[in-house]
Amino acid sequence: MTKVLIVDDSKFSQKITYSLLNQYLENIEFLFANDGQEGLEKFSEVHPDFMIVDLLMPKLRGQDLIEKAKQIDREANVIVLSADVQNRVRDVVEKMGVLSFINKPLDEKKAKEICDIIGTGSRGR
Amino acid sequence: MADNISREDILTELFNVGVGQAASTLSDIIDKRIGLTIPNVRILDAAKGKIELNKYLQNVAEGAVMVSSISFNSQLEGKVSLLFPADKMHHFIDLCLHETRDEFEDSLEFTDIDFDTIKEIGNIVINSIIGELSNAVNIPVEYTLPDIDVLNDANAEHFVDCEDYRLVLMMFLAFDIEGTEIGGAIVINMTLNSLDDILNKIDKLYNGR
Repeated sequence: MTKVLIVDDSKFSQKITYSLLNQYLENIEFLFANDGQEGLEKFSEVHPDFMIVDLLMPKLRGQDLIEKAKQIDREANVIVLSADVQNRVRDVVEKMGVLSFINKPLDEKKAKEICDIIGTGSRGR
Repeated sequence: MADNISREDILTELFNVGVGQAASTLSDIIDKRIGLTIPNVRILDAAKGKIELNKYLQNVAEGAVMVSSISFNSQLEGKVSLLFPADKMHHFIDLCLHETRDEFEDSLEFTDIDFDTIKEIGNIVINSIIGELSNAVNIPVEYTLPDIDVLNDANAEHFVDCEDYRLVLMMFLAFDIEGTEIGGAIVINMTLNSLDDILNKIDKLYNGR
């Protein structure tokens, strides 16, 4: 079973992300973290196959979480889901080796994009 | 340097791009078409800003507002507040959560889920507006975590800080969601230096100076 860790300080966003992805994916175990620090702890403990990360979060920013996760596992599969539309932020984060940078709000089209990434990654496992 | 009217027009246009983006984003979230009046951006000194904002607070929101705000720093420094009449928020939150209830509440009691929802919506909307402006003038901003609050007897003093900030950029918006009109306001309390930076960039980028 593929494990997907959703790290977002908004329960509202967690719910939308889970609902939309769950429509298209099978055999997925979803895990949740409510801030960056909790996200890092769960990442270290569970070693999820994919981590979906918000950027603006308390305790540990998404950028710092990605950096630390990559230190633990250089091949960590990270997808960023953020409201930040600044081109510079996208450029910096994309250079950190994330699979995709997607702007909130998540809709059907964007959810399918994430599912394609997760589906492809899962099949290659 | 271009005259103030021309720079204000360009600034209005830049904000309108962000507001249009924000309306589209909200429409995606609630899965319904949102009608939106195109706002005029007004750049006011703190004293005039307070007068205008108090008119909104009394006439539209009757003093009770739900406020979602984010501060930003780095080269641009200030605080953005997104204000909505509190009594319309239960309906709006239901739309966001795709939930229905028999009667719309107009109480000012909100649950943690209500606050979380509006905080995230505010985050997305404010990011659309400030982020698009940042992209247009090529000046980066760094955000603090969003805050959310309900103020029963709100007045302009809550949003306009005369000590640290000198200018107020104000936009009044009217969202029409399925016949329900929600009159919101966006208040950007920005340092003079920040606005100067933006206007100078506008001159360079759009007026060739």
